[in-house]
Amino acid sequence: MRHIRAGDRVLDIVVYAWLALCALACLLPFLNVLSKSLSANWAIVSGQVGLWPVGFTFENLYFVMTDSTFLRALGVSAFVTVVGTLGAILFTAVAAYPLSKKHLPGIKPILFAYVFTMLFNGGLIPNYLLIKSLGLMNNLGALILPGLINVFNMLLMKNYYENLPESLEESAKLEGASNLRIVLRIIIPLSAPVFATISLFYAVAFWSDWFHPLLYITDPSLKPLQLYLRDIVLEASDESRLTQSIDNLLNVSPEGIRNATIIVSTLPILLVYPMLQKYFIKGILIGSVKG
Amino acid sequence: MAYQGPGPGPGDGSGLTRTPRAGKERPARLPQIKRNYDLYLLLVPGLVFLLLFKYAPIYGLVIAFQDFNIFAGIGGSEWVGLAQFERLFQSPDFARVLTNTIVISLYKVVILFPIPIAIALLLNEVRLMWFKRSIQTIIYLPHFLSWVVIAGLFVNVLSPSGGIVNQVIVALGGEPIHFLMDNSVFRWVVIATDGWKEAGWNAIIFIAAIAGLDPELYEAARLDGASRLQQMLLITLPGIASTIILMLILRVGNVLEAGTQQILLLYNPTVYETGDVIGTFIYRMGLSSMEYSFSTAVGLFESLVGFALVIGGNAAAKRATGKSIW
Repeated sequence: MRHIRAGDRVLDIVVYAWLALCALACLLPFLNVLSKSLSANWAIVSGQVGLWPVGFTFENLYFVMTDSTFLRALGVSAFVTVVGTLGAILFTAVAAYPLSKKHLPGIKPILFAYVFTMLFNGGLIPNYLLIKSLGLMNNLGALILPGLINVFNMLLMKNYYENLPESLEESAKLEGASNLRIVLRIIIPLSAPVFATISLFYAVAFWSDWFHPLLYITDPSLKPLQLYLRDIVLEASDESRLTQSIDNLLNVSPEGIRNATIIVSTLPILLVYPMLQKYFIKGILIGSVKG
Repeated sequence: MAYQGPGPGPGDGSGLTRTPRAGKERPARLPQIKRNYDLYLLLVPGLVFLLLFKYAPIYGLVIAFQDFNIFAGIGGSEWVGLAQFERLFQSPDFARVLTNTIVISLYKVVILFPIPIAIALLLNEVRLMWFKRSIQTIIYLPHFLSWVVIAGLFVNVLSPSGGIVNQVIVALGGEPIHFLMDNSVFRWVVIATDGWKEAGWNAIIFIAAIAGLDPELYEAARLDGASRLQQMLLITLPGIASTIILMLILRVGNVLEAGTQQILLLYNPTVYETGDVIGTFIYRMGLSSMEYSFSTAVGLFESLVGFALVIGGNAAAKRATGKSIW
């Protein structure tokens, strides 16, 4: 019979306590900001809001979600994320599949050309000058095109194809199927899990990108959500616009709106994330199994 | 081996005559390319992308050796040799920025690198599956938030007027701290927020490594009467040592990237003294002051050092553990 030792019980307590503490540390800033976004102006100003809303109100959230600048920024972000993710999956898969055929002549040097760019890159200024010379300033293409292939994601996908059982393709070949037929009938249907994982990586990257918009987008009507968020949360520049338009709303305050904007822009990720979590982890595992 | 006897070997000068090769040899190149021309066609979009968005900027690095004029372009700008680099190494700003970068990076490595390992080890001891899953869900989440959102969260939480952290400090009888304006604490804010975002997510790779360990090792240890703490420290930890070393090398190769996006959102001129790093310096020099050549020289310096560190670290890892990144 095995009995639980005192030492093991102490270990259990330490383990559960520390992990709970870590999780709490991840949640607390959120709870604080969420509470503020749901609190009345007077409560925020007098510093009464901690981890629970005081003077509960939806007015901050309502103000954010009906603000035309916010809605336009949301639309830009949705467009970049959807078009970017679809394009990126297409480009990445098309590049990854032939690279998984290592025995073909010329494949290894090309693979090296990809990997090299992970180790050495042109950096900020040459990239900026490139976008400028391509005429992509104030064009959403500047946010999408350079992100079409992330070499790391491409390698994950390549590893996935390498690990598919060879017999599948070989038997099709024996029956005289062309490469194109193999790709359409066998490879694409088998790609669902890796497409799911990598779409999520791309979607999060396009959705969260604020740095490239900062570099390439100055036209206010083309600013995506993250840039809008940066303007409103971190720069005081929008203060006057906010104070003007909220004059007639009793419970709304710039502070409350800032918090509400953070919450609303995070919502899409908060909503999809728990459902898709297993794919994120699967993706890392796909990549870590090396052929 | 089926193939025997004299025949064309590499460098024996008889390459012109082809002897039939044994069955296992790979087929000749040309027919193989012809037969798979459609696979090669698939490579084209990726190669165009690679040339345009990866190698064109690498070519663009030549402006580090010019006095680049945006209207004259690369072809028309004057070549100045290493003048930009001379200026770089004499600039007191660069010395400050380099120091800040290395200090912040090293703090991040020393303080933040062990945390994901500890989290993975602790999670491995959890038997309650619902608890394990909930903890994982929560601690991976911050990774998926943009730096803008996280900067927004922490600017709020750390605000000297009404931020919850300062409320606690005041309630405990302290003075409110201007976290983002105070050179003595700004670096800690950078380190803490980076840890908040990535510590949980970075544990995944170690969790995967632990999952791959042989269960029989634990069985044997249990029979020998090892406690769970002993199993953790004497089986699990050594078992993932090679993963730890690889991750550490990758991390050290990035030592000159101290978190540009993060700091760009959190800093302000008051804390340049301790918080301005190479990435933010390049951003300001290049895009606010339009010093394209000088800032490209700074960027090239950063890229070269990072490249050398990864190559060197990888070689060291190969020697130490027999494993390497590629």
